[in-house]
Amino acid sequence: MFAVRAATVRFGHTLALDDVTVEVPGGSVVAVVGGDGAGKSTLLRALAGEVPLDSGTIEAPPKQRLGYLPASSGSWAALTVTQNIDFVAGIYGLAGEELCARRAELLDRASLTAAAGRLAAQLSGGMRRKLGFIMAVVHRPALLILDEPSTGIDPVSRIDLWRLVSEAAASGAAVLMSTTYLDEAERAAHLVVLDGGKVLVQGPYDEVRAGFAGVVTQTGEPVRPEWAWRRGRVQHEYWPGAGPPPGATAVAPDLEDIVIALSLARRNAVLS
Amino acid sequence: MTAVQLRARQATRRFGAFTAVDDVSMQVRPGEVVGLLGANGAGKTTLIRMLLGLIAVTSGSIELLGGPPDRQRRRRLGYVPQGLGLYGDLTVRENLSFSAHAYGAAEPALPPALTGRAGVLVRELPLGAQRQVAFLAALAHSPEVLVLDEPTSGVDVLASAALWDTIRAQAERGAGVLVTTHYMQEAQQCDRLLLMSNGQLVAQGSEADIIGSTTAVAVRTGDWAQAFAALSAAGAPVMLAGRAIRVPNANPAQLQQVLDAAGIQASLQPVPATIEERMLVLARATNGL
Amino acid sequence: MIVKEFRELVRDRRTLGLLIMMPLLLLVIFGYAANFYVSSIETAVVGPEASHAAAALPPLFNVTVTQPSGTKADAETLLQGNKADVAFVTGQTPVLALVNGSNLFAAQSAVAALNKEGGKVDTQVLYNPGLKTSWVMVPAIIGLILTFIGTIITSIGMVREREAGTLEQLAVMPIKPSRVILGKIAPYFLVASIDMIIVTVLGIVLFGVPFNGNPFAFALGAAIFLFVTLGLGVFISTISQTAGQAIQTAFFFLLPQILLSGMIFPLEAMAAGVRWIGYLLPLTYFTMISQGIMLRGAPISSLWLPFGVLTVMAVVVFTGATLRFRRDLAPGRPASPARKEPAAGETVSTA
Repeated sequence: MFAVRAATVRFGHTLALDDVTVEVPGGSVVAVVGGDGAGKSTLLRALAGEVPLDSGTIEAPPKQRLGYLPASSGSWAALTVTQNIDFVAGIYGLAGEELCARRAELLDRASLTAAAGRLAAQLSGGMRRKLGFIMAVVHRPALLILDEPSTGIDPVSRIDLWRLVSEAAASGAAVLMSTTYLDEAERAAHLVVLDGGKVLVQGPYDEVRAGFAGVVTQTGEPVRPEWAWRRGRVQHEYWPGAGPPPGATAVAPDLEDIVIALSLARRNAVLS
Repeated sequence: MTAVQLRARQATRRFGAFTAVDDVSMQVRPGEVVGLLGANGAGKTTLIRMLLGLIAVTSGSIELLGGPPDRQRRRRLGYVPQGLGLYGDLTVRENLSFSAHAYGAAEPALPPALTGRAGVLVRELPLGAQRQVAFLAALAHSPEVLVLDEPTSGVDVLASAALWDTIRAQAERGAGVLVTTHYMQEAQQCDRLLLMSNGQLVAQGSEADIIGSTTAVAVRTGDWAQAFAALSAAGAPVMLAGRAIRVPNANPAQLQQVLDAAGIQASLQPVPATIEERMLVLARATNGL
Repeated sequence: MIVKEFRELVRDRRTLGLLIMMPLLLLVIFGYAANFYVSSIETAVVGPEASHAAAALPPLFNVTVTQPSGTKADAETLLQGNKADVAFVTGQTPVLALVNGSNLFAAQSAVAALNKEGGKVDTQVLYNPGLKTSWVMVPAIIGLILTFIGTIITSIGMVREREAGTLEQLAVMPIKPSRVILGKIAPYFLVASIDMIIVTVLGIVLFGVPFNGNPFAFALGAAIFLFVTLGLGVFISTISQTAGQAIQTAFFFLLPQILLSGMIFPLEAMAAGVRWIGYLLPLTYFTMISQGIMLRGAPISSLWLPFGVLTVMAVVVFTGATLRFRRDLAPGRPASPARKEPAAGETVSTA
């Protein structure tokens, strides 16, 4: 079990993380969602040891047992796929027969075997991300940290990446990943919703859904615009406590509704 | 306002031996939001560049607001590229001022979310706010046509909803909007869809038109993770919609065999495919699978 | 468009600095430093008639050493150690004037003045008998190449990681910061050394430049100097976000060295107010070493000053640069007490 406990991080005047506690058990995927500035990247980098905490503790393995995929490309553009993997594997102490076997296995799982001799710069976005993933798991880390691995990637590669991630978790790694795609968060064993550096809610999807308080209605004209948002052609509106006016059409909230509703609740509370 | 704002007629573009866009005919009318879908390398970007008049057609024709896409007509166009086209080392105000002047329009007012940040350098804003600024810059001159390349990529749901509010408002104002996207939730926000693959326009119309006759098999099971792993290992193109497992273009009997062999209880049901699944099938066909 | 460009320029402090500082620098240099005429020649006089001769010399010759008991050999030693531009050996007729050919402009001034004396003085130019510019330039150019590769090329190579976003990954991997630096610098060290050898050989072959001194001493001096310039390269990379910025900053360090290190304009001819800048520059000291060893065959002992200064510079610059780079690679890691490791026997992955 790895974790971040009561972590607070300040950058100048900004509170990037505010008393955040997240546990990442081995063998499961923890997904962190939230908007820009919510603190997702900071949380991941704190667990990776890149960002020092102002208070709180980190429970993480030594670098040797840690795998990290940053939000940037994650690979060296001027090296080929094979050279990239070899370089990283070398740092972790993999060599010779063991390295060759491991590399072949990972390339096959990521459908990159055909592109093994291509320069990283010549790969499509999705393939480059998969390469970055391979480089992060080549040494079988106990803790795998992935910063927005599938953002901006074509849907087909996204599915591939998800498969790789779930395979890593299935073989025992603890995986912490951040994402803007809520369908990925739904699939995680445990999801964490961040907003403004605070945890709005966390837990398995079913629990989050069950524990969601308030009602979401569907309407053409929202009564309170600051509590409403667009979904497709209609507007959804959130009624946290008092309850919606009679006659309003309630909908079963999905994860997108829940995330937006809770974010609005926090921001409106801050403003009032 | 012209009847059709963007039009391609049998437009083709070749780069040497490579055909990036192959005989594509499409149009965007005032007030509609058209979504352009396709995998990387399908030709979306090339088509857009042709529509904007940035590159020439090899054959066929392009019309922007009733004529060739020249500089005059581009004045009535708003474009937000994937890279946003903003100057990172200038403030919000300065960026808006520059583009307003370039188009000969008045400087736009800032929405409430950005009023406090007029003097902030654009590169220091979070991505959602940057996209908002890029939108403002593109809309300041009340364009009749809007072309947006992946407008909400990397942005959280709340900000994404706000951006789509803006897009809808523009369409209601009478502008024709062309949007490219990878995200299927976004595709569902469009009035009409165009699907490209290998340079060709493979399907167009409503979501049903795009899906065509592609079907999928929905796998209902208690143990989705195991089922996913088993089917994946068997080489099936397994997709996930949230937690529901679906396999496009598959034979239910074959899947049942795989699941039985793995000892997994599941019920299989043929269903119409999703857009994503159509795209996956196309991609696999391109790769010879 | 004009307004936008101006706004961007104002924000770009480095380009602004270059735009403003460079003309000022050039003006100052060309005003005070650019001078080929050496107005005061460091002179030594040895031999029985030393004091007599010293008094008789025109004011151009600034007598700093008078050794009545000295011989021709002592005079040569003085010149070899670059303690004087001219050494007069008295006690024979005509008086022997030994001119230090490795200080080109001082030598030229001296020779011009001595030729007016006619038969009274027998002039011999040592170390660079033909008073050839190339003989003096080549040793300086070797230093310039090392500076170029060390600062500009190295800084770009290091900044590339930052630009590509891969620096983050290196920071998280179990690789020590010092190894990252060494790994990044080693290729440039090698390339610079090879370049240096090529230029030296070419200089000897094409221009006939001699190599009179100890090659090992030369190599040692070059190595120390390389550490200074490589250290500067690393330092520049820690204060630059893009390759463009790195080049601008490196240029900032390079230009003064070209103009004020004595490579083009002799240090002695510069106004004192500007000359001290020259004494702060590493290239100045390497040029002393390269000219001393190649032209004069000077022993290390006589070059203790430039060797010493360069060694101190190397230690200071390299240490400072490494510490800064460390900070980039491992922000809070060693000092962070908050980081605990879970008990042994925890989750082992076979992903």
